[in-house]
Amino acid sequence: MVNPVLLIAIPLGLAFAIPLFALFWKGAAKYIPPVALVFNLVVSLSLLAKVLENPVIISIGGWQPPFCINLVAGTVGVLFSAIIALVGLLVSVYALDYIKEGATEKYHMLYLLLLTGATGVVLTGDIFNLFVFFEILCISSYALVAYLRDKAGIESAVKYLIQGAVGSSLLLIGIGLLYGLFGALNMADIAQNIKSVSPISVFVPMVLIVTGLGVEAAIFPLNAWLPDAHSSAPSSISAILSGIAIEVGLYAVARVIFTIFGTSSILLFLALLGILTLLIGEMCAFSQNNIKRMLAYSSVGQIGLILFALAIATSYGVTGGLFQLVSHTLSKALLFLAAGYMIYRAGSMEISALEGMGKKMPLTCLAFTIGAFSLVGLPPFMGFPSKFLIVRAALATKETLFVVLISLALLGTVIEGAYFFRVVQVLYFQPVRYEKSSKGIKGEKPNPGSKDAPITALIPMFIFVVLIIVVGIYPKLVTDVLNSAASELLSRTEYIKAVLDSIL
Amino acid sequence: MSFLGNYIYYIGAFGLILIGLYIILVKHNLIKVIIGLGILDTGVNLFLISVGYITKGTAPIFSSPGIDSEYMVDPVPQALVLTAIVISVAVLALALSLAIRLYQHYGTLNLRKIREQRW
Repeated sequence: MVNPVLLIAIPLGLAFAIPLFALFWKGAAKYIPPVALVFNLVVSLSLLAKVLENPVIISIGGWQPPFCINLVAGTVGVLFSAIIALVGLLVSVYALDYIKEGATEKYHMLYLLLLTGATGVVLTGDIFNLFVFFEILCISSYALVAYLRDKAGIESAVKYLIQGAVGSSLLLIGIGLLYGLFGALNMADIAQNIKSVSPISVFVPMVLIVTGLGVEAAIFPLNAWLPDAHSSAPSSISAILSGIAIEVGLYAVARVIFTIFGTSSILLFLALLGILTLLIGEMCAFSQNNIKRMLAYSSVGQIGLILFALAIATSYGVTGGLFQLVSHTLSKALLFLAAGYMIYRAGSMEISALEGMGKKMPLTCLAFTIGAFSLVGLPPFMGFPSKFLIVRAALATKETLFVVLISLALLGTVIEGAYFFRVVQVLYFQPVRYEKSSKGIKGEKPNPGSKDAPITALIPMFIFVVLIIVVGIYPKLVTDVLNSAASELLSRTEYIKAVLDSIL
Repeated sequence: MSFLGNYIYYIGAFGLILIGLYIILVKHNLIKVIIGLGILDTGVNLFLISVGYITKGTAPIFSSPGIDSEYMVDPVPQALVLTAIVISVAVLALALSLAIRLYQHYGTLNLRKIREQRW
């Protein structure tokens, strides 16, 4: 059996080895993240078959579960780590050619650290360890947002850092309160004893922890940093932030609410917040002229939809939410990757500057279009079955409130369709635009000509497109895994039993 | 007296947390905001330490005989605080280096004047 610890240890070790390699050969740095992520992908996929039957629980240091730091590689954890490795791998291949300026070895080191943090968050079974991995994720993403060192990047990074740091402090206070109440940091142990104290004293740490994680997950009142950070980062980083960082935040929120607190008291509130996040995100995206800001706001909307689906808290709902999460990860990463080279060629982030791009770079624009259609939820693509499952789950609850909320969510989808189709229309049905001004933005200098994106960008985009279409046509490929993941998230007694009974 | 004696650390910790939050929310100068973050972190660390503290506590080491294990303070929060301090040092260092860059770009640290990014 492969030990899940390697999923964290290998990328972490290699990340810190990158500056050393770069001392001898500067070009070596960019090849290390793909190698580490191929390893992670293989290990995750080989673990996935095994954990579908039984979760693998690793106690570090040989201590027994309530006292040790443990890793819980259940279906959810391994599914997420496989997705992180897959998307991370494709984006790191994209970055081989895309990242040319600045201290590239630092970029690759931080990139690998970010993914290590994300993998750690989804695999850990210890709540303080979750905080530590979250901080690894956050600190590397603050630095990566500012990577280009331009005005917008620095300003966004400062905003992101201040909000993120306050969020982490709230999270830490919540963890401290939980430790004071239960004298343990193991999630399963806390979950087992949670009913032994009065609900009101558990409520305070719950609110603090959900608020702290909500900053990273970009739930509505806490998401002011997101559009700035996602639009000013380099496009490869935008893809990772939109595709992985906020999803990991949502996973942590779901894990904390379903497993640790096992409460249904704030689910309704979260469902309302989800729909509010969705509508606000879609309406702001609709009014944007900057393509990356539009995609960033669209992420806010999608996060709202996923949060709503998770808050339905039925088996269908959580499966739909996880499916939508996977579909959003793949589609949004594809959109940002395609947009990266479209912006590079156009020399501007304005949507109007992309007129006629469909003739200049046909393959990239085709990839963008497929990503956009999938995100809107058109049938042959992956977004359709996932949205369909969510709608079905909401209708199956037979509660008027959820039916009303899902109809609002569908309204949000209509808005989403409107702004994505507008971009597709600009790409294909406008005459080719010739360069008026060659004043580009820093890091993405104008490079006119009819060249398509380089091959290192086209291959990852092609793989994303294939995945989106194949899963869209045959969703059964993933629904079994997602069903098992959803039941693991929902059945907390089995989680507690699995962790506390595992003695080495 | 006994109330104060029992809860003085918690009062101090939450006082620091509130002061830190106030500074972050109200001040316009980025350096002051970063100082606020530092105070907030200190408050959180003090809170974590006081969770594990007992009055007349001793160090949790079974070295010399005659130490009563009842009065040993809990070592876990101290380990947590060490980690949290390291993390907050990293965040503050990154924040200060970003502040230097921000000043190079805008010539000011007043956050009300730095408004390139809008909704």
